[in-house]
Amino acid sequence: MQRYLRLFMLLCKIGLMRQMAYRPHFFLMISGKVIRMLLLLLFFQAVFLKVDRLGQWTFDQVLLLFATFHLVDYIMSITFQRNLSYHLPALIQSGNLDSRITLPIHPLFMASLENIDMMDFISFIPCLGLLGYALHRLNYAFTWVQALMYGLLIVNALAFLFAIVLIIATVSFWTTQSAGLARVFDDLTRVGRYPLDIFESFWKFFFIYILPLALISQVPSQALLGALSPGLLLYALAATGLLLFIALRFWSMGLKTYTSTSS
Amino acid sequence: MPLPPTASTPPATVSARNLSKTFWFHEKEPGLTGALKALLRARKKVVKAVQSIDFNVNAGELVGFIGPNGAGKTTTLKMLAGILCPSSGTVDVLGHVPYRREKEFLRKIALVAGQRNRLFWDLPAEEYFHFCRVVYEIPDERYAAAKKRLVEMADIGDILTVPQRKLSAGQRKRCELVAALLHDPRVIFLDEPTNALDVLNARKLREFIRAKARDGLHGIILTSHNMAEIGEVCDRLVIIHGGRIVFNGDLASLYERFLPRKQIRILFDGPWTRDALAQLGSLLRTDAHEALLEVEAPAAARAAALICSRFSIRDITITEMPLERIIESIYAQPHR
Repeated sequence: MQRYLRLFMLLCKIGLMRQMAYRPHFFLMISGKVIRMLLLLLFFQAVFLKVDRLGQWTFDQVLLLFATFHLVDYIMSITFQRNLSYHLPALIQSGNLDSRITLPIHPLFMASLENIDMMDFISFIPCLGLLGYALHRLNYAFTWVQALMYGLLIVNALAFLFAIVLIIATVSFWTTQSAGLARVFDDLTRVGRYPLDIFESFWKFFFIYILPLALISQVPSQALLGALSPGLLLYALAATGLLLFIALRFWSMGLKTYTSTSS
Repeated sequence: MPLPPTASTPPATVSARNLSKTFWFHEKEPGLTGALKALLRARKKVVKAVQSIDFNVNAGELVGFIGPNGAGKTTTLKMLAGILCPSSGTVDVLGHVPYRREKEFLRKIALVAGQRNRLFWDLPAEEYFHFCRVVYEIPDERYAAAKKRLVEMADIGDILTVPQRKLSAGQRKRCELVAALLHDPRVIFLDEPTNALDVLNARKLREFIRAKARDGLHGIILTSHNMAEIGEVCDRLVIIHGGRIVFNGDLASLYERFLPRKQIRILFDGPWTRDALAQLGSLLRTDAHEALLEVEAPAAARAAALICSRFSIRDITITEMPLERIIESIYAQPHR
């Protein structure tokens, strides 16, 4: 475990060094990330100039939901998302996966974390600030149980997303390409940014129980606000556990069929 | 066919039994119509890349694994290195089943393959070497010594701080080699390691791997299309053709089995006749003062003695047939 932690820190350092290898790109990227975050906030405020509620959610609660979504989204972007969605299919296609799976570390570790995107870390910090601001506006009374539950459900959300991304990426062992599916996933996860109350009852049910995108930000936010039912909590953990199990089995199957390329 | 180990022979470092690998792919006809046809109704084609091969490699052995393009060399190496799962048969490397890719197994092997890129493209090689140190948990002192020795061997001291994308293919290859060998693997699979290297660096690498094998601790399998290289460094040859092993033995037995002939080069110091020489063997080349004669290997010494007694000779040399000739004749044979 300690070795993997050390390796992760090293990959973070390498990620930062890679970004800094191209100076103009580095400064442009920082500006781009800040502008992207500001635009999202502007859009969000514009919506609430017209309406004071989205379903049952007040502006401050939606701000919490928004901050939670981006917290999860940025952790995913910094770590596994691009690695699995885009980098892994390229490694499979070129055969460069050979040199990754012959390293004495878990192949999924390298496949998920080889390129740590430290640029997104820059957006991650204001995201934490936004979370603090949302809690401040909500006059949030801190309780350990709710905070721990929130933390646990953030981890749960990441595990859930990891499982979906992994399943999509694993398809490329057979198809060599899965970028199209990965883009569908990118668009779909954006649903998690909004309160599901904005959807009609069928779609609300669908996004909670069938394709539970509610797990990304709604469930953790509800837990922090003390509004999560024990049933939904158990369902969230069970659904993630099951999906993760399926994803890992699927990954093993995919790796077994890996045919590499000729020299 | 490899022999089972006896009391005097150590257990094999690498052992393959009835090893086979079958691939399938979708055939595509040329052109847009072909692509459309393949998209709508793909035709599956099965290729038996490796078919029931058996061989051993012992510690201290440097085995040349050769064959024409598409013969199954790289597929076999990848099965031995744990990258590919065999379709059938068994393989054992240092007591491990490669495909399980156990940590202990992966720490003891290295695969240096063709045009693969393992180094960080935007960063200097030094960063990847450090990454290897952490991944393989190489103690500091051992790492420093191994790096010094390998950097010297590969002659990359002056490019250690240059990003990979700025290096030539040969320079990158040398960096890859150092990265692959830093953890001192017990079994090394080298797939065309000198490809893209200049003459001097290729020689240095050959000397290095030769010395590695001689210490008796390492088993090395080398593929190459450079027959001079194979002949120079390998103790034993395994020739694979059409996915099957057609020869497994040392160079002497290869000559004996496939081309038991030798060449005699004669430089004359006086008059000579073609007819007299032609009675001894096949004349390959002649000019005013020189002739190249090919004879059956057992008759070579007698033929040379006869030539020396009949003509005035300035110089005479007996050589084996070039290895390429033998390999060409094997590759030209139809395979099943």
